[in-house]
Amino acid sequence: MTYAQTVEDERTGVVSSAPDRTRWKRIVTIGTGGGLLLIGLRKRSTGGATLALLGGFLCYRGIVNRSDGQHDLERLGTSLDRAEASAGGRTVERSITVGTSAAELFERWIEPSTVTQVFGPVVEISPEESTVWTWRIDGPFGWHRTWRTEVVESEPGEFLRWETHDDALVDGWGTVRFRRAPGERGTEVTLRLNVDPPGGALGNMLVERAGFIPEILATKALRRFKSLVETGEVPTLERNPSARGRGDLL
Amino acid sequence: MKALCWHDVNDLRVKDVPEPQITNPRDVVLRVTKTTACGSDLHFIDGYLPTMREGDIIGHEFMGEVARVGRKVTSLERGNRVVVPSFIGCGSCGFCGDDLWSLCDNTNPNPELQEPVLGDVTAGIYGYTHAFGGYAGSHAEFVRVPHADENCFPVPDELVDEQALFASDAWATGYMGADFCDIEDGDTVAIWGCGGVGLMAQQSARLMGAERVIGIDRFPERLRLSRSEAGAETIDYTAVDSVVEELEARTGGRGPDACIDAVGMEAHGTGIVHAYDRAKQRLKLHTDRGKALRQAIVACRKGGTLSILGVYGLMDAFPMGIIMNKGLTVKTAQQHGQRYVPKLLEHAAEGQMDPSYLATHEFSLEDAPRGYELFKHKEDGCVRPVFAP
Ligand SMILES: NC(=O)c1ccc[n+]([C@@H]2O[C@H](COP(=O)([O-])OP(=O)(O)OC[C@H]3O[C@@H](n4cnc5c(N)ncnc54)[C@H](O)[C@@H]3O)[C@@H](O)[C@H]2O)c1
Ligand SMILES: [Zn+2]
Ligand SMILES: [Zn+2]
Repeated sequence: MTYAQTVEDERTGVVSSAPDRTRWKRIVTIGTGGGLLLIGLRKRSTGGATLALLGGFLCYRGIVNRSDGQHDLERLGTSLDRAEASAGGRTVERSITVGTSAAELFERWIEPSTVTQVFGPVVEISPEESTVWTWRIDGPFGWHRTWRTEVVESEPGEFLRWETHDDALVDGWGTVRFRRAPGERGTEVTLRLNVDPPGGALGNMLVERAGFIPEILATKALRRFKSLVETGEVPTLERNPSARGRGDLL
Repeated sequence: MKALCWHDVNDLRVKDVPEPQITNPRDVVLRVTKTTACGSDLHFIDGYLPTMREGDIIGHEFMGEVARVGRKVTSLERGNRVVVPSFIGCGSCGFCGDDLWSLCDNTNPNPELQEPVLGDVTAGIYGYTHAFGGYAGSHAEFVRVPHADENCFPVPDELVDEQALFASDAWATGYMGADFCDIEDGDTVAIWGCGGVGLMAQQSARLMGAERVIGIDRFPERLRLSRSEAGAETIDYTAVDSVVEELEARTGGRGPDACIDAVGMEAHGTGIVHAYDRAKQRLKLHTDRGKALRQAIVACRKGGTLSILGVYGLMDAFPMGIIMNKGLTVKTAQQHGQRYVPKLLEHAAEGQMDPSYLATHEFSLEDAPRGYELFKHKEDGCVRPVFAP
């Protein structure tokens, strides 16, 4: 859709042409997402947080799926669509550049305290078995699910891969790769997360409802990892004051 | 403690809230001594910037006294009197390393709210929407400052509060806007807006050697400050047929060498394009009324510099063709305060620049909603209301 067309259409009020229908669909998605986001943000419960995350995700989808989107957004959009269409659950991929060597980043990633900090309350690690990670999602009314993954492959300074145990109800795997960035920019870190709950699309939706939105999880995990390595701490609103009380974790 | 909170669009309330605490090891908690309103606050008060939540503490232009110190803070101790830039830098990432502090990679805890729209993530800021970090603001008795060694700048004893306070935002922003113009001998710089930011840009342009500085606004008392304090000549845009023609006439047909927009997304105006902007803004189809910026683009001389300080959302109907065909250089940013604050405090200490006249009114925190009323409607000559918690 070109810029001139957009303006013309808005002036004449004609909204029924094909590109426009997708545009309106997008606006509705963003609108619904924004609504959920705000309703969710107003509540301070786990349900509220879930709604907010889902809303944020819908906003996100609405925005990245714009047909006239910028290059990067398009790339993200198509990679998400591709991920959704593929069998074996949903896979998302995110990258970030961190100003340190791959060798150091690999060492940092495999520290149990790093994994629990970057994934937040979603992952727990027992000190005895640092390569086994317990993933947990919490839904409304005390409902929750856990599944365990184990690191199955790793190459120091290059990559790490983890998979769920065969008997897990929720299947999934993940990889993190480290690659030198050009010039003095450090290292490109790419995280892929796959989650494959039983029940196909419905299962995916339930998992998302429970706040496990792989896109957001991956974005946040990489950003937190970068901050932890570069500054020694993760930016947080854990005890942020407001007239709502204390704490603003999303 | 008491704090000024955003309750809803055009509804600010003083509330009792919990005190902030040291949360990360590089934090300090400041006892806020002076905190002031900024034109940017008006954008979310009026409902044009999304992701505010009921109960958010607002305010991002402030100074204070160190009250509590995190265990990894090395350069500060209790009782230090400091001024703090609005955007939070980490001091360790590539952007902070390049002195582009408002682009810091490591201080926004809510990247997922910003990345889908901007395609990237900015630094966090105090009291200014959840997309920009969600940090509690400074209109409170205490405020938490992360990465304190990088963000707290000790104020020399000989300066009074009002000489340092505005280095937090209005002054650093205006100074950056003038710095963007790479001012050379004989240059004329035109500045739209004679609020705190515009006045600071005008005064800074003068200090950086501009031959002529022209301030544009409509409020007589602000235009007066522009002439008396910032050493500018002025244009009342409601008293001329065309600001662009007026500037042409005053510059021998060349146009200003650099134009600074210190107005932003809620520019006041008249005419058909303004009506179009306003209607679309009401319907939430776009967020901006861009009258001042469009004028600056048309007025600027060929090959000149356009320095944009005003805050914008996602504006359409933007005259890119004029920028392109006239070969303008566009420079813009949220302020990189940490780059400028030491220099500004030096200017104040050496008497080269004094921003204290921006502080036209002082209120207690309890009366802050009244201060915002005056500031928003530009009543009683209010340029910046200062709150003393
Ligand atoms: N880039 C940054 O980091 C940064 C920092 C602070 C403020 N800002 C932005 O700078 C802008 C100004 O901030 P402020 O604190 O000075 O606000 P302010 O509200 O005090 O001043 C704005 C001035 O612009 C004038 N104005 C309105 N329409 C105009 C027009 N068409 N032509 C000329 N002047 C016009 C108003 O009369 C007013 O005096 C805001 O958009 C604010 O968000 C940006
Ligand atoms: Zn500001
Ligand atoms: Zn940084």
